[in-house]
Amino acid sequence: MSKVSLKIEFGGGLELLFDNQRSYRIDVPSEVPIDNSTDEESLSTKEKKPVDVKYLIHHMRDHMLKERVELFMEKDTVRPGILVLINDTDWELEGEGDYKLKSGDEIVFISTLHGG
Amino acid sequence: MSACDNPNVEKDALMQRRQKFDGKTKICVRCKENTGNVVIRYSVYCKSCFFPLVQTRFRKSLEPSINPVPDGPRKKALKAAGSLVIGLSGGTSSTAMLDLVAKSYFAPKAESDGKLKGGKDHPRNSDKGVWKGKAGVCYVEVCGAFPGERDRTDEIRSVVGSYSNPNFEFIPLRLEDSFDSNWWKEVGGDLSSSAAALGLDMTDEDLRLVNSSPELAPLQALRTYLTSLPTQTAFYSVIQTLIRLLLLHTSASRHASHLLLGTSLTSLSVNLISGIAQGSGYQVPEEAKEEWRPRPDRGMPVRVIRPLRDVGMKECAIWDWWCNLKIVGEPRSLYGGGKNSIGALTRDFIFGLESDYPATVSTVARTCAKLVPKEGSDGICALCERPAQQGVQAWKARISIRSYQEARSSVSGNTRPPHLTEEEIVNLTKASLEAEPTPDSPISLTPLLCYACHTSLTSRSSRGTAALLANGQALNQVPLPLWVRSTADAAISAHVHEKEISVTRTIKMSRDEMEKEISAFLLPEE
Repeated sequence: MSKVSLKIEFGGGLELLFDNQRSYRIDVPSEVPIDNSTDEESLSTKEKKPVDVKYLIHHMRDHMLKERVELFMEKDTVRPGILVLINDTDWELEGEGDYKLKSGDEIVFISTLHGG
Repeated sequence: MSACDNPNVEKDALMQRRQKFDGKTKICVRCKENTGNVVIRYSVYCKSCFFPLVQTRFRKSLEPSINPVPDGPRKKALKAAGSLVIGLSGGTSSTAMLDLVAKSYFAPKAESDGKLKGGKDHPRNSDKGVWKGKAGVCYVEVCGAFPGERDRTDEIRSVVGSYSNPNFEFIPLRLEDSFDSNWWKEVGGDLSSSAAALGLDMTDEDLRLVNSSPELAPLQALRTYLTSLPTQTAFYSVIQTLIRLLLLHTSASRHASHLLLGTSLTSLSVNLISGIAQGSGYQVPEEAKEEWRPRPDRGMPVRVIRPLRDVGMKECAIWDWWCNLKIVGEPRSLYGGGKNSIGALTRDFIFGLESDYPATVSTVARTCAKLVPKEGSDGICALCERPAQQGVQAWKARISIRSYQEARSSVSGNTRPPHLTEEEIVNLTKASLEAEPTPDSPISLTPLLCYACHTSLTSRSSRGTAALLANGQALNQVPLPLWVRSTADAAISAHVHEKEISVTRTIKMSRDEMEKEISAFLLPEE
């Protein structure tokens, strides 16, 4: 199965949910289940789509997140107050969760939940 | 389907989610050349236009208030009446604000290329800043209120140190300083009146002041005070008030004319809505812009400015990221603190609103900016030191029943507690009248408070207030922040103008008593 290599970074204190590590390099499959399930069985049996940011968020929740899922995700996407930059560009300009990931993409998640 | 169909009639008629930008082009709306990097309230900006955009909004909010005559002509240079204090929590927006202040007003001048310069670039003007003296960067460590949290003072110190700017002076404070007489003395507070701190009887709805609170260490006093609060909402709003007052008193002691707070547009909207929900609607104008006068009078008033009030939290976070700024403050919500307090619930609501409909958040702030209180103010609240509304207690006594004793005011049978007969209510009335304070009884804090602070201290939570605090302190001797004393002392020395602040009460009488009162005017029955 071909893979897509990504760099993931955290800002604004979000790294606290991810083992206090600010930067990760990960590989995700280039074809993933339509329903974004990330277990091995679904990856081999279910209908596929090209990997997108929505799948990446599910992958991060299932395989990287260390605590408090509700502080990262809400209704199949990131919780309001978390910004996402794809290659230094606001993900709202790139189609948000539907952006198709390519090898070498840099995805940044920034929390604004601290406020003041 | 139009966006305004009736969802009750048509099942799927929900408001359509608007696209985050006009969708036609990704070209920056400002330079119209580069591909955009960020969407701000439906407009697309590139990275190089983003920085001047935020900086312009920041300066636009701050500069009209710098000169002593606000909004006056500013043809001459900006010149403040005193020094500057910057509040830094280490969070997203205050970190961005510190960076903006450093870059806008304290940036080292570019090296001279050997040519003689005139005008404002003349060498004689080189050391003339906008504010007098050094700017204080003030951080309030709140770990005292959250046992188990780590102290971040050193990390914040290194953030301030990273500016290598000799004009920034780091001022670390702690939340418990509000109960520390050394700090109070340092900021010029009055300690002459009594050695012991002022205490409060929280077991009594009238919030009677007691003078003989036992000597407690500041941290213990802070914890006793916070534990005695009846609700989670009160706990968080009191912490906000303590931080604000610590910053204000510190600013006054440094002869500061301006205190800058990093409240972004998003957090301003959160503060406005949650403030109104907690009863501080009267103080809505103060939330955006405030001029605080230290009491007892010691120096110039401090203008509290929120220069990021037109900049959203998203812009602040992106500014921090693109400028490589370190966020030190810990996102408290990550630890679930105060999940059900009004403040946290409002924050979740506004953040959700901002991500779906970004323009509505600025509408909240703009609408609140138009609000003007209807009633005048009859003084300053002893706890939050903001203007207090006139006649609040009289109004509160008229509209609410706080206990069965007060059931006397519910004259009609409909609102009477169903298990009490009319006669019983009359008896209760008499009992409570007898318990009315005599002139010798300790004075009450209630008339010295604004509606919001009074509500914070007296609202009832489902869990109720603990009868005894964890550390063995009784609820009838809860320590109060030191600044409360300056207000309360004045009231005590005047022996509380009890008459002026007394509240008119309605008393329920029995039918027989009523007949007796008017018997002289009754015509004899024939």
